[in-house]
Amino acid sequence: MGRFYQDTRRRFLKRLVKGGFTLLASLFGITAAGFLYPSEVKKRTTKFFYLLNEDDLPKEGVKKMELAYEHEQRAMVLRVFVVCNAGETFALSSVCSHLGCLVDWSRSKKRFLCPCHGGSYDIEGRVLSGPPPLPLTRIPLKMEGEKVFAGVKV
Amino acid sequence: MGRIYDWIDRRFGIKPPHKNFLQRPVPQNLSYFYCLGGIAFTLYLAVLLTGMLLSFYYVPSEKEAFQSVVRITREVHFGALIRGLHKWSANLLILFVMLHTVRVFAQRAYRPPRELNWVAGTFILVLAFASGFTGYLLPWDQKAYWATVVGTGMAATVPFIGNHLLYLVRGGPEVDGATLVRFYSIHVIWIPLVTSLLLWAHFHMVKRQGISGGL
Repeated sequence: MGRFYQDTRRRFLKRLVKGGFTLLASLFGITAAGFLYPSEVKKRTTKFFYLLNEDDLPKEGVKKMELAYEHEQRAMVLRVFVVCNAGETFALSSVCSHLGCLVDWSRSKKRFLCPCHGGSYDIEGRVLSGPPPLPLTRIPLKMEGEKVFAGVKV
Repeated sequence: MGRIYDWIDRRFGIKPPHKNFLQRPVPQNLSYFYCLGGIAFTLYLAVLLTGMLLSFYYVPSEKEAFQSVVRITREVHFGALIRGLHKWSANLLILFVMLHTVRVFAQRAYRPPRELNWVAGTFILVLAFASGFTGYLLPWDQKAYWATVVGTGMAATVPFIGNHLLYLVRGGPEVDGATLVRFYSIHVIWIPLVTSLLLWAHFHMVKRQGISGGL
């Protein structure tokens, strides 16, 4: 009788050991993935910070501003453009939508120019030329009395 | 799985030279005492893997070490489990390395041709102690701090060069941030690296010399 039963026994034990190790490795893998996943991922919300007084808003054209605010005890500075064009006032982020360089307003060319890869945007922030895939980000503005607040995602 | 492994091994060739070793009949007179070394190695793997995970969150700095350990224990998913596994596997590792050493000693399995393997094993035993000693400081709490003050203080009792030895171990006259970083480096880089190499040598010699038949 020996041989047949020995073979099935051996195969069974082999499978048992292999299965046990696979189970152990999978359990460890799942635990490790859970361990490495951050325990709290903060949802970003838009917070408003004081930017300037209503009197200082540009009547026409582009005004370069530094929006200084504090986030989790760290001082942050965001460069923004306050624009008044055809009676509409809005704010644009200076971060180029291509690779994140800071664009600047060229008074002579009437465009926002990116120094890195030659992207350019018109006064409304729309792409005119170069690699940027998206227009400049609009920053929401809010008036409270005489003061203008700008919304930042934190 | 088997097919993937075979594909790799046809090029890598680790199976054929080990075939005789892996499929040889085990000597008749073995007992469970021969499992002690294997248990110790399994615990070593557990300590190694959990330690590699803990290193993602532990911060080896005077100001942040304790806080990072608290964070691992309280906030990180499975943090208390992984830290507990690391601690208990480490304690059991020391125990089983010692039991394994006692078995080899009692059975006089260190005799020729296995003297060199006994030496390798002794180094592994000492490294296991060293790993326990350096790892004990890392939580950076009162118990860890004073245990290290006392433990490293023993170095100063060595005649003539005692104080210099103490400075060498502590990285200065006192146990402080320098000691912590020093112990951290030894605990997570030097000891695992050297132990892994020694374990390879240990198993290589077992493979070459076979299992001792005992008394």
